Amino acid sequence: MLLLLLLAVLTVTTAAVPVIDRLPGRWTGWTLAAVLALAAVPVLAAGPGLWAGGAPVEAHLPWMPSLGVGLHLRMDGLAWLFCALVLGVGALVTAYSAGYFPPGRRTGFYFLMSAFALAMTGLVLADDLVLLFVFWELTTICSFSLIGLSGPGASRPAVRTFLLTALGGLALLAAVVLLWVRTGTTRLSEILGDTAWTQDTAFTTVVAALVVLAVFTKSAQFPFHYWLPDAMAASTPVSAYLHAAAMVKAGVYLAMRFTPAFTDNPLWGPVLITAGLTTAVLGALLALRRHDLKELTAYSTVSQLGFLIAVISVGTPQALIAAAVHTLAHALFKATLFMAVGVIDDRTGTRDLRELGGLARAMPVTAALSALAALSMAGVPPLLGFVSKENVFEALLDIPHAPWAGPLAAAVAVAAAALTVAYSVRFVYGAFWGGRPTRTGDDRPREAGALFLAAPVVSALSGLVLGLGVALLNPMAARAAGDATGRTAEPHLALWHGLNPALGMSAAALLLGALLVRFTSSGERLARYRLPPVRGTAVFERVHAAVISAGVRTGDATRTDSPTRHLAVPFVLIIGFAAVVALAGPDFGPPAGPTSRPLDWLPVVLVAAAVLTAVTTRSKMAALALVGLAGFATAVWFLFLGAVDVALTQLLVEILTVVVAVLVLRRLPAGFHRVRPSRTAATAVIAVLAGAAATAGAYALTGRREPSAVSAHLLDNAPADTGGTNVVNTVLVDYRALDTLGELTVLGVAGLIIIAVLHSAGLTADAGERPAVSRTNPVWDADSNTVIMRTVARVLIPLLVVWSLYLLMRGHSAPGGGFIAGLVGGSAFALAYLAAPSASVARIRLAYPAVIAAGVLTALLSGLLGLADGSFLRPLHADVPLPWGGHYHFTTALVFDVGVYLAVVGVMLTALNQLGLPRPGADAAEASPTAGRSTATGGTR
Amino acid sequence: MTLALTIGVLTAGAVYLILQRGMVRIVLGFVLLSHAANLLLMSAGGVFHRGAPLLGRSATEALADPLPQAFVLTAIVIAFSITVYMLTLAATGTGDETEDAS
Repeated sequence: MLLLLLLAVLTVTTAAVPVIDRLPGRWTGWTLAAVLALAAVPVLAAGPGLWAGGAPVEAHLPWMPSLGVGLHLRMDGLAWLFCALVLGVGALVTAYSAGYFPPGRRTGFYFLMSAFALAMTGLVLADDLVLLFVFWELTTICSFSLIGLSGPGASRPAVRTFLLTALGGLALLAAVVLLWVRTGTTRLSEILGDTAWTQDTAFTTVVAALVVLAVFTKSAQFPFHYWLPDAMAASTPVSAYLHAAAMVKAGVYLAMRFTPAFTDNPLWGPVLITAGLTTAVLGALLALRRHDLKELTAYSTVSQLGFLIAVISVGTPQALIAAAVHTLAHALFKATLFMAVGVIDDRTGTRDLRELGGLARAMPVTAALSALAALSMAGVPPLLGFVSKENVFEALLDIPHAPWAGPLAAAVAVAAAALTVAYSVRFVYGAFWGGRPTRTGDDRPREAGALFLAAPVVSALSGLVLGLGVALLNPMAARAAGDATGRTAEPHLALWHGLNPALGMSAAALLLGALLVRFTSSGERLARYRLPPVRGTAVFERVHAAVISAGVRTGDATRTDSPTRHLAVPFVLIIGFAAVVALAGPDFGPPAGPTSRPLDWLPVVLVAAAVLTAVTTRSKMAALALVGLAGFATAVWFLFLGAVDVALTQLLVEILTVVVAVLVLRRLPAGFHRVRPSRTAATAVIAVLAGAAATAGAYALTGRREPSAVSAHLLDNAPADTGGTNVVNTVLVDYRALDTLGELTVLGVAGLIIIAVLHSAGLTADAGERPAVSRTNPVWDADSNTVIMRTVARVLIPLLVVWSLYLLMRGHSAPGGGFIAGLVGGSAFALAYLAAPSASVARIRLAYPAVIAAGVLTALLSGLLGLADGSFLRPLHADVPLPWGGHYHFTTALVFDVGVYLAVVGVMLTALNQLGLPRPGADAAEASPTAGRSTATGGTR
Repeated sequence: MTLALTIGVLTAGAVYLILQRGMVRIVLGFVLLSHAANLLLMSAGGVFHRGAPLLGRSATEALADPLPQAFVLTAIVIAFSITVYMLTLAATGTGDETEDAS
């Protein structure tokens, strides 16, 4: 309950930041700091219970119960340490931000900081792999936004940080999925509590490699170390939080958490310790060469993280104690140092060591704080850093795997520690004591205010107090290391252990560090040497560019504007597929009955003639007419096959297609353009092969069985089920009404798209203006030329409308129904349109999109009525007695069919009105000679 | 066999037109292709029973399969709306119908 409340408070606070930030003054930072500090109180209060051996605090909330994924939160000793750090350092940094930033609203910054604290808290408390991953990615997103927020120069570093850490996130996701599949649970505590699955070394190695990738990218380990200094483009409070408690510590946490599973793995230990120590030395060396204090501090983080990863690799309780204490120590001194850098930057306007010096007199408090933190970093007694580093040495010395490994690792660690001493001195001495004093006289820098310094004072003094009273940390370290390793840990943290190897190593590191300071003048001489010309960011950019260009090259293979290339691919593939099947020569069995009748040859010949002439003509109008002929022949085919409704529909659609196509064609050149003979030949070959494949496929694969069971069922049961005898119509409006509803919607959407396309694109100008007849020709005058048609139409249109309604009513038991009736009704409007002397007269003043919508809605509502009988779209039936005897069988399927009718009519109206109207602005030209050519295309104006 | 032949002829014409340049020919090709597809659906129902599926007029055994007919009926209307849509695109497209493009 406590943990859920904790996350809820942080979530609410994050959501409330934009509101709080509207208050005047610098209240947001202080409010956020107060919330984080208050949230830390119950967490800290839970500590003693844990240390005394109490059960971990848990909380559960269902999230995806069917998958077994839930909001499982669990705070054991390890999670407690990180949770306390996240909240505590978060409170300090936000309090510091209130003083750091000039007055003014920083909603984005505080929102992201709050979200960051939430994500980190969730991450360390998550006891569910999926939840862990979600929070892990959330920290990535927060850090990306926080870095990117810091100014135009920060956008590239932000992107680099994001891509690199997202790579680690993907690796973690893969590890999560693998673990989930293997163990069958997402509960982290169960997976790590029973490590029987680690017996499969190959599997464990794969998972370990993925987790290593996640840890290394998050915690900036070599060779991914460069993103952390790169991300320094962020504002100082962001860096302080990122480096001290958030983000990079997520990787450390993950590595510590997975210790029990991977310690015995042959990959985990060697990779971690090699990369860790390399990072420790490399980071320290690079830090020593920096002039920018913030850069120096950033590289120092890289180095310290190297220490942590190296010591975690050892895997013994002793090593995890060292890791836990050093994590705490590092959080305190690193937060202090970053905040001090921010203070120096704020007071002097620079962070460059070459311009800084002698600040101790002007800024004594900042100097003292920095010195405390830097001494802790260097491992000088009696500060906490001394104890933690000594424990690290001790753990490294006791590497259990090989006798030579311990001393070697310890020696490298001492070297890195010596470099640490050197750059610590470089920071403090260079800024506060050495060099020329930065600006003197009245212009000299002044100490920052008490509120500004409050946060670093707390963190710096904590390092001192905890160092003096380090024994107090024993129960905490015991519990954290015990929960991390699953074994009993017995820490003996103390400032004085007597004379032992670790003390010797600490002394050696300090001595070597002092020598380094002496002989490189605090690293200044090292800074002069040129580095090998390999920079992490440059390598990243090159890899990034290579990936992008590889993608572009891959895409180029298929990138073409020519529709032919795209369309030819499926045709050729299908022909190839047909050829393969034909060569295999499968036996499909004999036809189940006679497939041809003598009269069938009529539509065959008609279709063949129509198609052959349609593909050879160069006139668009002729091609349209010939394709229409093929459509009529197809309708004849439908009639021969017993599909009366289908034949009727086909016939009507064919007519309407021609009407609409004519409206379009008058805007385009009259002829098709010439085609090169080579292209004609190639496409003809593909076409003939495709036709042969289609014939062979249609013949071989159909008509080999008796009528289907569905057919028999429909024919036997339709009247009883639906009250209709036209089985096709009953299928449409009853059995498969949901399909029809879907198709209706598609129809309506097509109508709306037509409107949208025409409105957004604007119509092309009437191309190829060639008046078909001269002004003096009697055909010129559209008004007198449409007299006959108008006369006929005046009678025919009402008849068509009435007939369409009759077809609609009788559809259930005789040829007809919504589609056919709608098309007949639509053709009535088409006739009205064609008969009108001009487009503006013909305009049908109906809100046709509303007609479409009404159709779809009517169909939907009739479907909802069906719910009264237990199922969507189930028709209701009622027998209405008629006055002249008998009764009329009414069914809501008819209402559904009315919806179909309306939608079809609506789309027809849309097409006629939208395509038929002259393009916007051309109305004025109605009487101009350009109108004349339309007489050649059926008098549409 | 006759139906299969019709389907083949329609398909060949459709493929030829679709592979030409210019939106209008492509649209006409798709119209032919939809005819072929609809006839194939009818063919799938079998062509040896050809009675219209209107009950009470002839013996049930001689009636054609109503299911493909229902499919084809809606398919025709859908193909119509797609055709109109493509014609709209042909009307709005500019450079596509010009002679000089490659």
